[in-house]
Amino acid sequence: MKVKVLSIPVQDQAKALAFYTEILGFVKKVDVPLSEDSRWLTVVSKEEQDGPEILLEPSPKHFEPAKTYQRSLFEAGIPYTQFNVENMQQEYDRLSALGVVFSIKPTEMGTVKIAVFDDTCGNNIQIVEML
Amino acid sequence: MTFYQNEILRIKNMCYANTAQIQKVVATRNYIEKHFDKPLNLDSLSHAGFTSKYHLLRLFKRYYGQTPMQFLIDKRIEKSKFYLKKGITISETCYLVGFESPSSFSTLFKKKTGYMPSNFQKKQFSQSRSIGDF
Repeated sequence: MKVKVLSIPVQDQAKALAFYTEILGFVKKVDVPLSEDSRWLTVVSKEEQDGPEILLEPSPKHFEPAKTYQRSLFEAGIPYTQFNVENMQQEYDRLSALGVVFSIKPTEMGTVKIAVFDDTCGNNIQIVEML
Repeated sequence: MTFYQNEILRIKNMCYANTAQIQKVVATRNYIEKHFDKPLNLDSLSHAGFTSKYHLLRLFKRYYGQTPMQFLIDKRIEKSKFYLKKGITISETCYLVGFESPSSFSTLFKKKTGYMPSNFQKKQFSQSRSIGDF
Protein backbone atom coordinates (compact mmCIF):
# COMPACT_ATOMS: atom_id res chain seq x y z
CA MET A 1 0.00 0.00 0.00
CA LYS A 2 1.16 3.52 -0.72
CA VAL A 3 0.04 6.89 0.63
CA LYS A 4 -1.23 8.80 -2.39
CA VAL A 5 -4.26 10.81 -1.28
CA LEU A 6 -5.17 12.37 2.07
CA SER A 7 -8.43 14.20 2.71
CA ILE A 8 -9.26 17.57 4.19
CA PRO A 9 -12.97 18.20 4.71
CA VAL A 10 -14.07 21.56 3.30
CA GLN A 11 -17.38 23.36 3.34
CA ASP A 12 -16.97 24.97 -0.08
CA GLN A 13 -14.68 23.38 -2.67
CA ALA A 14 -14.28 26.46 -4.90
CA LYS A 15 -13.35 28.62 -1.93
CA ALA A 16 -11.00 25.91 -0.64
CA LEU A 17 -9.27 25.61 -4.01
CA ALA A 18 -8.69 29.37 -4.05
CA PHE A 19 -7.27 29.35 -0.50
CA TYR A 20 -5.04 26.29 -0.95
CA THR A 21 -3.62 27.49 -4.30
CA GLU A 22 -3.62 31.29 -4.12
CA ILE A 23 -2.78 31.72 -0.43
CA LEU A 24 -0.91 28.55 0.60
CA GLY A 25 0.72 28.03 -2.81
CA PHE A 26 -0.37 24.45 -3.59
CA VAL A 27 -0.99 23.40 -7.20
CA LYS A 28 -4.21 21.87 -8.53
CA LYS A 29 -3.59 18.29 -9.70
CA VAL A 30 -6.91 16.55 -10.42
CA ASP A 31 -10.36 18.07 -10.94
CA VAL A 32 -13.14 15.66 -11.94
CA PRO A 33 -16.83 16.64 -11.73
CA LEU A 34 -18.77 14.01 -9.76
CA SER A 35 -22.19 15.59 -9.38
CA GLU A 36 -23.82 18.98 -9.70
CA ASP A 37 -22.09 20.37 -6.63
CA SER A 38 -19.11 18.14 -5.90
CA ARG A 39 -15.81 17.35 -7.58
CA TRP A 40 -12.88 14.98 -7.02
CA LEU A 41 -10.52 17.86 -6.42
CA THR A 42 -6.90 17.42 -5.35
CA VAL A 43 -3.92 19.72 -4.83
CA VAL A 44 -0.23 18.97 -4.32
CA SER A 45 2.74 20.79 -2.86
CA LYS A 46 4.42 23.01 -5.47
CA GLU A 47 7.87 21.73 -4.47
CA GLU A 48 6.80 18.08 -4.45
CA GLN A 49 4.27 17.66 -7.23
CA ASP A 50 4.74 13.89 -7.36
CA GLY A 51 4.09 13.68 -3.60
CA PRO A 52 0.80 12.86 -1.84
CA GLU A 53 -2.32 14.63 -3.06
CA ILE A 54 -4.71 16.44 -0.74
CA LEU A 55 -8.32 15.77 -1.54
CA LEU A 56 -10.48 18.81 -0.77
CA GLU A 57 -13.56 16.83 -0.03
CA PRO A 58 -16.98 18.30 0.67
CA SER A 59 -18.23 15.88 3.34
CA PRO A 60 -19.31 18.64 5.81
CA LYS A 61 -21.74 19.87 3.16
CA HIS A 62 -23.39 16.52 2.54
CA PHE A 63 -23.01 14.55 5.78
CA GLU A 64 -24.19 16.11 9.04
CA PRO A 65 -21.91 14.09 11.39
CA ALA A 66 -18.88 15.23 9.35
CA LYS A 67 -20.01 18.82 9.76
CA THR A 68 -20.43 18.36 13.53
CA TYR A 69 -17.03 16.66 13.85
CA GLN A 70 -15.30 19.39 11.85
CA ARG A 71 -16.97 22.15 13.87
CA SER A 72 -16.05 20.51 17.20
CA LEU A 73 -12.39 20.21 16.22
CA PHE A 74 -12.35 23.77 14.96
CA GLU A 75 -13.88 25.19 18.15
CA ALA A 76 -11.38 23.27 20.28
CA GLY A 77 -8.58 24.77 18.18
CA ILE A 78 -7.38 21.30 17.17
CA PRO A 79 -5.55 20.97 13.85
CA TYR A 80 -6.27 17.70 12.10
CA THR A 81 -3.72 18.24 9.33
CA GLN A 82 -0.19 19.57 9.31
CA PHE A 83 2.27 20.70 6.67
CA ASN A 84 6.03 21.09 6.95
CA VAL A 85 7.75 24.37 6.17
CA GLU A 86 11.44 25.22 5.78
CA ASN A 87 11.31 28.52 7.61
CA MET A 88 8.47 29.15 10.08
CA GLN A 89 9.00 32.87 10.57
CA GLN A 90 9.13 33.53 6.83
CA GLU A 91 5.96 31.52 6.24
CA TYR A 92 4.18 33.13 9.19
CA ASP A 93 5.06 36.63 7.91
CA ARG A 94 4.01 35.76 4.35
CA LEU A 95 0.66 34.25 5.37
CA SER A 96 -0.10 36.99 7.92
CA ALA A 97 0.49 39.62 5.22
CA LEU A 98 -2.10 37.78 3.08
CA GLY A 99 -4.64 38.05 5.90
CA VAL A 100 -4.40 34.49 7.28
CA VAL A 101 -5.46 34.32 10.94
CA PHE A 102 -3.30 32.35 13.38
CA SER A 103 -4.69 30.88 16.61
CA ILE A 104 -1.16 29.83 17.65
CA LYS A 105 1.74 32.06 16.63
CA PRO A 106 5.16 30.47 16.00
CA THR A 107 5.98 28.53 19.17
CA GLU A 108 8.94 26.31 19.95
CA MET A 109 8.01 22.82 21.10
CA GLY A 110 11.29 21.08 21.78
CA THR A 111 12.72 20.00 18.45
CA VAL A 112 10.06 21.70 16.31
CA LYS A 113 8.49 25.10 15.87
CA ILE A 114 4.73 25.07 15.28
CA ALA A 115 1.97 27.52 14.38
CA VAL A 116 -1.75 27.02 13.71
CA PHE A 117 -3.97 28.95 11.29
CA ASP A 118 -7.58 29.02 10.09
CA ASP A 119 -7.92 27.71 6.50
CA THR A 120 -11.29 29.56 6.15
CA CYS A 121 -12.88 26.26 5.08
CA GLY A 122 -13.65 24.99 8.57
CA ASN A 123 -10.25 23.66 9.64
CA ASN A 124 -7.28 24.53 11.78
CA ILE A 125 -4.05 23.72 9.96
CA GLN A 126 -0.74 23.29 11.76
CA ILE A 127 2.56 24.16 10.11
CA VAL A 128 5.81 22.76 11.46
CA GLU A 129 9.47 23.57 11.07
CA MET A 130 11.90 20.87 12.21
CA LEU A 131 14.67 22.42 14.29
CA MET B 1 -7.79 29.78 25.48
CA THR B 2 -8.82 26.85 23.31
CA PHE B 3 -8.44 23.23 24.36
CA TYR B 4 -5.51 22.84 21.95
CA GLN B 5 -3.69 25.94 23.23
CA ASN B 6 -3.92 24.53 26.76
CA GLU B 7 -2.64 21.16 25.55
CA ILE B 8 0.32 22.77 23.80
CA LEU B 9 1.31 24.55 27.01
CA ARG B 10 0.86 21.41 29.10
CA ILE B 11 2.92 19.23 26.73
CA LYS B 12 5.60 21.88 26.39
CA ASN B 13 6.05 22.07 30.16
CA MET B 14 5.89 18.31 30.59
CA CYS B 15 8.10 17.12 27.70
CA TYR B 16 10.32 19.98 26.63
CA ALA B 17 11.48 21.62 29.84
CA ASN B 18 15.09 20.41 29.58
CA THR B 19 16.49 23.00 27.17
CA ALA B 20 20.09 21.76 27.50
CA GLN B 21 19.09 18.30 26.22
CA ILE B 22 17.04 19.80 23.40
CA GLN B 23 19.91 22.05 22.30
CA LYS B 24 22.17 19.00 22.20
CA VAL B 25 19.90 16.95 19.93
CA VAL B 26 19.04 19.91 17.70
CA ALA B 27 22.77 20.57 17.28
CA THR B 28 23.30 16.90 16.39
CA ARG B 29 20.53 17.02 13.79
CA ASN B 30 22.00 20.21 12.29
CA TYR B 31 25.41 18.55 12.21
CA ILE B 32 23.97 15.60 10.26
CA GLU B 33 22.16 18.02 7.89
CA LYS B 34 25.48 19.73 7.11
CA HIS B 35 27.77 16.67 7.02
CA PHE B 36 25.51 13.89 5.68
CA ASP B 37 27.95 13.32 2.79
CA LYS B 38 30.81 12.51 5.20
CA PRO B 39 31.41 9.11 6.83
CA LEU B 40 29.32 9.72 9.96
CA ASN B 41 28.67 7.20 12.71
CA LEU B 42 27.51 7.31 16.31
CA ASP B 43 31.11 7.74 17.54
CA SER B 44 31.81 10.78 15.36
CA LEU B 45 28.44 12.32 16.20
CA SER B 46 28.91 11.88 19.94
CA HIS B 47 32.44 13.25 19.63
CA ALA B 48 31.11 16.34 17.77
CA GLY B 49 28.43 16.82 20.42
CA PHE B 50 30.77 16.20 23.40
CA THR B 51 28.59 13.51 24.89
CA SER B 52 28.64 9.73 25.23
CA LYS B 53 27.25 7.85 22.25
CA TYR B 54 24.64 5.91 24.20
CA HIS B 55 23.40 9.07 25.89
CA LEU B 56 23.17 10.81 22.50
CA LEU B 57 21.37 7.84 20.98
CA ARG B 58 18.83 7.82 23.81
CA LEU B 59 18.25 11.58 23.67
CA PHE B 60 17.95 11.74 19.88
CA LYS B 61 15.47 8.88 19.84
CA ARG B 62 13.46 10.44 22.64
CA TYR B 63 13.11 13.86 20.99
CA TYR B 64 13.04 12.96 17.28
CA GLY B 65 11.44 9.53 17.47
CA GLN B 66 14.20 7.88 15.40
CA THR B 67 17.89 7.15 15.84
CA PRO B 68 20.56 9.51 14.43
CA MET B 69 21.54 6.84 11.89
CA GLN B 70 17.93 6.41 10.71
CA PHE B 71 17.72 10.16 10.31
CA LEU B 72 21.03 10.17 8.39
CA ILE B 73 19.82 7.46 6.00
CA ASP B 74 16.57 9.35 5.31
CA LYS B 75 18.55 12.51 4.64
CA ARG B 76 20.88 10.71 2.23
CA ILE B 77 17.99 9.07 0.38
CA GLU B 78 16.17 12.42 0.08
CA LYS B 79 19.33 14.04 -1.28
CA SER B 80 20.03 11.15 -3.65
CA LYS B 81 16.58 11.64 -5.22
CA PHE B 82 17.59 15.23 -5.90
CA TYR B 83 20.82 14.16 -7.65
CA LEU B 84 19.17 11.34 -9.61
CA LYS B 85 16.48 13.76 -10.83
CA LYS B 86 19.27 16.01 -12.09
CA GLY B 87 20.64 13.12 -14.18
CA ILE B 88 23.74 12.38 -12.06
CA THR B 89 24.84 8.74 -12.44
CA ILE B 90 23.93 6.19 -9.77
CA SER B 91 27.48 5.54 -8.57
CA GLU B 92 28.27 9.26 -8.48
CA THR B 93 25.07 9.92 -6.54
CA CYS B 94 25.98 7.14 -4.12
CA TYR B 95 29.31 8.80 -3.25
CA LEU B 96 27.90 12.36 -3.30
CA VAL B 97 25.45 11.52 -0.50
CA GLY B 98 27.99 9.65 1.61
CA PHE B 99 27.29 5.95 0.88
CA GLU B 100 30.29 3.76 0.22
CA SER B 101 28.95 1.01 -2.01
CA PRO B 102 26.66 1.52 -5.05
CA SER B 103 25.11 -1.93 -4.61
CA SER B 104 24.14 -1.40 -0.98
CA PHE B 105 22.95 2.12 -1.92
CA SER B 106 20.70 0.63 -4.61
CA THR B 107 19.26 -1.94 -2.20
CA LEU B 108 18.57 0.71 0.44
CA PHE B 109 17.10 3.10 -2.13
CA LYS B 110 14.72 0.38 -3.31
CA LYS B 111 13.70 -0.39 0.26
CA LYS B 112 12.98 3.26 1.05
CA THR B 113 11.37 4.44 -2.19
CA GLY B 114 10.05 1.29 -3.84
CA TYR B 115 12.27 1.79 -6.92
CA MET B 116 15.80 0.86 -7.92
CA PRO B 117 17.76 4.09 -8.56
CA SER B 118 17.89 3.28 -12.30
CA ASN B 119 14.09 2.85 -12.46
CA PHE B 120 13.56 5.99 -10.39
CA GLN B 121 15.72 7.94 -12.83
CA LYS B 122 13.91 6.47 -15.87
CA LYS B 123 10.55 7.36 -14.31
CA GLN B 124 11.63 10.96 -13.70
CA PHE B 125 12.97 11.23 -17.23
CA SER B 126 9.81 9.86 -18.85
CA GLN B 127 7.62 12.10 -16.66
CA SER B 128 9.50 15.26 -17.58
CA ARG B 129 9.49 14.25 -21.27
CA SER B 130 5.75 13.60 -21.31
CA ILE B 131 5.12 17.00 -19.66
CA GLY B 132 7.31 18.56 -22.39
CA ASP B 133 5.39 16.69 -25.14
CA PHE B 134 2.10 18.21 -24.06
